[in-house]
Order: sequence, then C-alpha cells, then structure tokens
Amino acid sequence: MSIKTTLMTSIGQKLLVATSGLVMFLLFLVPHMGGNVLFLFGPDLFNSYAHHLHQLVPVVIGIELLMLASISVHMATAVRLVLKNRQAADHRLSQKSSAERSLAAKLMPVSGVMIFIFIIKHLLDFKFYEKAKTTLHGIETYDVYAMVLSRFQSDPIHLLFYVGFMIAVGLHLSHALQSALQTYGLYVPREGSKIKLASAVIGWGMAATFAIIPVVAFIK
Amino acid sequence: MSEKINLTLKVWRQKRGEAGGFKTYEAKGIDTDASFLEMLDVVNDEITLKGEEEPIAFEHDCREGICGCCGSLVNGKTHGSHERTTLCQLHMRHFKDGETIVIEPFRAKAFPVIKDLIVDRSGLDQIIAEGGYVSVKTGNAPEASTTPIKKELAEAAMDAAECIGCGACVAACPNGAAMLFTAAKVSQYALLPQGHPERTQRVKNMVAKMDELGFGNCSNEYECAVACPKGIDVKNIARLNREFIKATLSQGK
Repeated sequence: MSIKTTLMTSIGQKLLVATSGLVMFLLFLVPHMGGNVLFLFGPDLFNSYAHHLHQLVPVVIGIELLMLASISVHMATAVRLVLKNRQAADHRLSQKSSAERSLAAKLMPVSGVMIFIFIIKHLLDFKFYEKAKTTLHGIETYDVYAMVLSRFQSDPIHLLFYVGFMIAVGLHLSHALQSALQTYGLYVPREGSKIKLASAVIGWGMAATFAIIPVVAFIK
Repeated sequence: MSEKINLTLKVWRQKRGEAGGFKTYEAKGIDTDASFLEMLDVVNDEITLKGEEEPIAFEHDCREGICGCCGSLVNGKTHGSHERTTLCQLHMRHFKDGETIVIEPFRAKAFPVIKDLIVDRSGLDQIIAEGGYVSVKTGNAPEASTTPIKKELAEAAMDAAECIGCGACVAACPNGAAMLFTAAKVSQYALLPQGHPERTQRVKNMVAKMDELGFGNCSNEYECAVACPKGIDVKNIARLNREFIKATLSQGK
C-alpha cells in the first residue's frame, strides 16, 4: 500500500485531519495564546513582543505558509469526510443519539466553519490593517497595543463577536484533542478518562484566555 | 409476577424494491415476561389470522443473545436502550401499559433494507472475508501449553471476540461506520500469536473493504460502544488505528 493509498483510506483521512489540526494547535494556537497574554502586561511588553516577532519574518512567513497548507488539508479532508458520513448514515427517522455523544462532538463541523469565518475576520482586523507607529527604547516600531485597544474600545458588538466565536474554539478543541489522540491509537476510554478531561480543560481554558484580551481591551 | 399489557406499535413495513413506511398495530394482552421478539410473534399471529397482509418480517435465530441475527431500532435505539442486551433478550417488562413503541430497521447506507425490519448485513461478512481469520490448517487442537499466552492478552482477545456481528455499532454510529466491528475482528487476532504472521495484510485489507462498501468514517463519538450488546470497548478502535499505522510504516511486508 503506497502512502497515497493509505492516506485515502478512512483511517488515513482521519490521520490527515488529526495531524493538520495538531500542527495548527501546537505551532500556531499555543504560541499565539502565549503572545496574546502579554497584552495584559501593558503596552511596552506587548509592543516589544510584536517588534521581536517582526524581526523573525522568515520564520513567521514559513509558519504562515505551513498554516495555510494545514488549514487547507484540514478543511478539505474534513468536508470530504462529513459529506461521506452523511451519505453513509442517511434516512434515519426515529433514531436518537445517546448521552455519550457530546455537544462538542456533534457540532464539530459547525464550530469548524465558525472558526474559519473568525480567522478571516481576525486577519482583516489585525493583519491587513494600517498600524500606527510608536517609539520603544528609542526604536521606532508598530504600536500594536494601541491598535488592539482601538479595535475594541467603544465597540461592544465587535467585542461580542470575538468572545462569541471563542465558544466555537472551546467546543472544537475539547473534542478535537481527545479525538486526535484516539485516532493516533492512544486509547481514550469512554468513562472517567483523564485525557477527555484534559482535552476539555485545555480547550476551554485556551478559549477563555483568548477571550480575556478583547474584554480587557474593552474595559481599559 | 407477570402481567398483561397493551401496546401500540409503529412498525416499518417495506417490500423489496419499494419505498417503505410506518404502519400502526395494536399488541394486546402481551405478557411482561415475554421477550421483544415473542411480542412480535404474537402480533404476527394476529396479522396472519386476519389474512390481509404478510406478517412483519424480522431476523432472528438463537433468541438467546449470541447469534447476532436480531436487531432493530426500538424507540430510536439499537436493540432498545438496555445495556448489553440484544433485541431477543429485551423483555416486555421494560415497557408500560399503553405505551407506543416505534420499531425501525437498522439504518446505514451499507445496510440496505431487504424487507420490513430485515437489513442486508452481508457487508460485515465481506469485511471478515478479507482477513478476519487465520489461514492455517490446524488439524487437531494442539496441546494447550505449546504456545503460552499471557492471561491479560487472552482475556482481551476473548473480549474482542465477543462481537456477534449484529451491526448495532454501524446503526448507532452517527456516521454509519463499521469501525467497532472491524476493530474487534482485527483485535482478536492482533492480540494472539496465532494472528501475528498475517496481521499487516489483515488490517490493510479489512479497512480497505470497509471503505469500499460505503461504511462511514469514525469520528470518535463512541455511540457504537454504548449500542454494543456485547460491550465491545473503543479500546479496540484505538488498537485498530495502531495496527493500521504500524502496517503502513512496515511497507513491503
């Protein structure tokens, strides 16, 4: 069986979704959260972080390309699987799901699409946006702190959009992490699973951490 | 003490090649000690005596929960909603007098309805035919201690081998996937030394067959394990995934 045939099997496709998802989680979401948290410590630290990140442009572009590839694989494969699964289980009239099937699991496609919409909006808000300059320790740099402040202050709808979409992130991650591990062959038990618990705690914890930044920016 | 109850049944009726629909029947004077299939027998007796239509077709064989023939959705749940219970072992004492029961065949693209509550589950046999066996002529049973096997492994293999192939996992899976079934069949050999020589080919071929037949893809929602009348655990699905990854990494074997 060639690698290509393997990746086209059901388990291969799931491994693709799991791997592309984990790549985005580990190389993008975790560092992004780490950087965002610095916002809570004031303009100097946050602007200095942005300045240093800016000096690593080749690495940043490399990661960005990797993210573009990952999200393409992740979405294309997931859409294909969801459509196939719908077909494989159609015409169910009286059928009910059990309590085992979590809301997070049920809503994976919905939360996935919501995250995609959020990413586009987020990029338009902060990446492709004219930034003001400031001076930090005698060096001229972008004032990203002021940018974040200006985007959320006196705009409660924008704030609600950001906080609301973080619910999708929490839902998606809480099922995604445990599901990816089970797909890799690490047994995630049905009941009393520490992995399931960790998956929910990490997922919702990260979503909450991300959501704090716009809230703080709004009330400042 | 048993008592008699009256029920209203909404049963899926479908002839070969035609579209089906629900039809309502009254099940009167049902003994609460009767099994679900015996209740259907009583209803079928009445239908036959009336002579207006054919009795309700449902699959059954041993009626003691080990053959894997029976199975329908009862009120939206595979085999009814009792833990580790096949439809034939579901008893009428779990139902209340005057209750309406909806009975529908197992639903999956890979399980086309043949008639009424009978679906074609031969896809599962086709998956078995791809390697759910050990291709060695064994002759007489060998002396038991020739191949020592750890107790834990023997027990795990026996747990996997409990699968009766009823198809409830497929019907309960939101994706119509046959992962739990295939995982159980792959596991029972992967755990024992007798299954090792063919393990690479076995997992690849069985997964390929499963995909080819139009079963869905697992999304780790574990509905299958809830539905399984034999308590097959999702541990086996993790093992199937491991076996598959290992088989892919050991190319050319």
